[in-house]
Amino acid sequence: MRAAIKEYNYDWLMGSTLSAAAKFPAGTAKEIAWAYRYIPYFKGIVKNFVDAGPPGIYFMDLLAGYYQNILDAHAQGKKIAATTFCSSPVIFYAMDIVPLTFEVLTAIGAMVWKRGMFDYMDYCCEVGMPETACSSQRGALGAYLADMGENIDIVLCDTPGVCDTNANAFVFAAEYLDKPFFQLNYPSTLGDSRSQAYHVKDFQAMIRFLEEQTGKKIDYDRLAENLKEVEAQDAITADLEDMLMMVPTPIPPIYTLMIYAGRFCFAGHPGYTRLLELLRDEAQKRMAAGVPALKAGAENLRVLMCYIDHYTVDINFYNYLEERGIANAGSILTRNFRDYNPYCQALEGSCYGVDLSSPEAMLDTVAQMNARLPMVRSIRGPYDQHGMWLDECLALARLYSVDCIIYNGTPGCRNTWGMVKPFARDIEKQGIPVHIMNDDAFDDRVESWEATRERLDEFFTVRGLL
Amino acid sequence: MQLFHDVANQIKCQPLIDWKALNRPVVGYTCSQVPAEIFHAAGILPIRMRGIETDGMDIGDAYYGPFICSFPKCLLQLVGKGAYKFIDGAVITPGCDAMRRLDECWRKAGEDYDGIIPGFFYYFDVPHKAEGHGMEWFVEEIEYLIAEIEDYFKVTITDENLRAAILEYNKGRRLLSEIESMRTSETPVVSGSDMFAATIAGTVMPRAQYNEELTQWMASLSQSPPMENVRKRIMLIGSITDDPDLIRLIETDTDAMVVAENLCFGVRSEGRPVDEDADPISALAEHYLGESTCPRMYGRYKQRLAVLKEKIEQSHVDGVIMQNIRFCDLHGAENALFEKDLEAEGIPCLRLEREYGPMIDKGRLKLRINAFLERLGRGRKYASSN
Ligand code: SF4
Ligand code: SF4
Repeated sequence: MRAAIKEYNYDWLMGSTLSAAAKFPAGTAKEIAWAYRYIPYFKGIVKNFVDAGPPGIYFMDLLAGYYQNILDAHAQGKKIAATTFCSSPVIFYAMDIVPLTFEVLTAIGAMVWKRGMFDYMDYCCEVGMPETACSSQRGALGAYLADMGENIDIVLCDTPGVCDTNANAFVFAAEYLDKPFFQLNYPSTLGDSRSQAYHVKDFQAMIRFLEEQTGKKIDYDRLAENLKEVEAQDAITADLEDMLMMVPTPIPPIYTLMIYAGRFCFAGHPGYTRLLELLRDEAQKRMAAGVPALKAGAENLRVLMCYIDHYTVDINFYNYLEERGIANAGSILTRNFRDYNPYCQALEGSCYGVDLSSPEAMLDTVAQMNARLPMVRSIRGPYDQHGMWLDECLALARLYSVDCIIYNGTPGCRNTWGMVKPFARDIEKQGIPVHIMNDDAFDDRVESWEATRERLDEFFTVRGLL
Repeated sequence: MQLFHDVANQIKCQPLIDWKALNRPVVGYTCSQVPAEIFHAAGILPIRMRGIETDGMDIGDAYYGPFICSFPKCLLQLVGKGAYKFIDGAVITPGCDAMRRLDECWRKAGEDYDGIIPGFFYYFDVPHKAEGHGMEWFVEEIEYLIAEIEDYFKVTITDENLRAAILEYNKGRRLLSEIESMRTSETPVVSGSDMFAATIAGTVMPRAQYNEELTQWMASLSQSPPMENVRKRIMLIGSITDDPDLIRLIETDTDAMVVAENLCFGVRSEGRPVDEDADPISALAEHYLGESTCPRMYGRYKQRLAVLKEKIEQSHVDGVIMQNIRFCDLHGAENALFEKDLEAEGIPCLRLEREYGPMIDKGRLKLRINAFLERLGRGRKYASSN
């Protein structure tokens, strides 16, 4: 790791960058134009979020708050839990634990820093992690392994579902930093009573573990509050999903990123409700005024990202979609699998409901909700098993009227690279063109953005889509 | 002993041919967490599937993506080429992601290649935790597997059959343990590659025949003189290995011997007996899941480190060679932790990344191994006895 990088506390550095960026629009037009001249390396990303209007600006502020929570945790007597995006923060907020999600932090760093998260990723390899490990953890994790961020107190991950490399990164972090570790384990099936019962027992074991670590009992009143907030969030998300189904959609591609990044960081927290309200209100205003969602104006094409999006510098990917007039129907991360969403009718047993009637019912709710987070829901078992990845993609493709499906991930994802080829062939057999991107969603060194863009263009051209 | 090497080096080995000649069923499985006793109890020969004798990767690459360990790819390649057409059943486990995706890749290849999917094709859902509900789940999985076997093969698996199978398997385990002690002793009489060939053979041969061979081998070993030129005592750990050539690479033209290993085809899973007095299904579950020292059992690193240290101590190991197949993060990441912790205690370690398969990077590996052995020569922890 370069000495210069080690000079700043990582959490402070990222949090300050985002909070400064969120203050940009407070200036006059002239001040903003001048300010941009002083941040040539950040201008691209700041401008993207500022141009996204109130939700974009609020999003930066919300994320700055995420880092601030991490920075303030110990002074407030709270524990910091390193965790994965496939583990809902609802329970952490109800237990006064501050979540720190490697994947989200890596994505933010990759979007914000001109050099991406390369230095941090490489540091993980310097201390022994395989270079073939997933970049989504290797990014932010590097900062904590290098002792540049706040001290992590607890490590918590999911197995399987998200790939082995994901779980391995957490195991590595726990052992390297010598921290207590817990894994949430997922059977290969979903929706049957046996796996439902397993989730609940596993979740209860996790709560016992967290109670031991924090010395505090779970506060069910607080959990109820958070779950009510989740109810509100799910309802707004359903509105946004409805709007995503409209052709043309009033939802710009970058909104889908905000929908899930906000959920991963702040599910059950009022800040996320506010973000969703802003997203919905802006989309409704746009619809009412007949303003197109895409910069290109017309919606030429609709894509479904069947896995994750592409997050490197300046969120070039979302701009690319905008410029080409491509609507993004969202990715595996966007959906929340609440039982009243239209896709849940087609994917029986795959969704969760909310029941606040008793502490047991609430725990059951959170356990089932957690079990339906993106990867642990869709790719936990054979992809062609009932309700899994193939069924899900085909159902979404129909509902969102997409023209094609695009797979994008990281080379570290053994779970999907293990079967994405036959999966793509099965989708193609249904008449839907599929493109497999060979880049790394978090690391432009694997394939430059320019090459990725060329390949996307080639796919759209060769398949006669654009 | 020669029989063990023959079995270890060929998929369609003589004991298998003899078994099939009598029209008896064979089931292939992909991970050491599958209780072989269940099949034995049903009169079925369980064989651990291996990827040896692969001579191309066109089929493996057609279904698997590029960033995948070459071991399951080799398995798929062999399956696609029809090398496993003789099996009547297959059991796939979620050992790691690459391994569990063999389920889909195999089934999809079956749409393109005739007759490669055996009639009995089963996904055995092994959890990643062995505590409480994890163990309950695994016990149920064993019960489901038994029910499916009974249904498909029209057999009955009773507690009595299972107990007898456990006794038969334990007999082999005890023999292996005794032979293992002749290898780990200060004056070893058995080489690492012979020992490894013997444990591999145990995953393929009919158990009674295997036990008989082991008994004879042990008798001959007790008359054998100590091995010569064993100056550096090595432990080999890491990714899946079913090829004695890797061990031979360390032992040939050197003064080193692999006196211990922690590999899932080695004595790691064969060394300890299953509880003979407990309920047979619970005993099998406890053995195959509860005692697993595989890194797929997340959160048990410290136990595994303790097991390694104990073996290092018992076998007087001078240095540890840790290998991982490229894209095997389970072992890749754990090897890094082992290296850190063992080196801190003065135990020299070498980390190697390799491909599975016919030793394509033999030269490179040999160079690094020899350099490591030279390093050992300069400051070994344990003095060699000969
Ligand atoms: S290393 Fe573990 S998961 Fe892999 S085959 Fe061996 S026992 Fe199974
Ligand atoms: S070597 Fe590693 S990646 Fe390969 S099959 Fe075994 S556990 Fe899986």
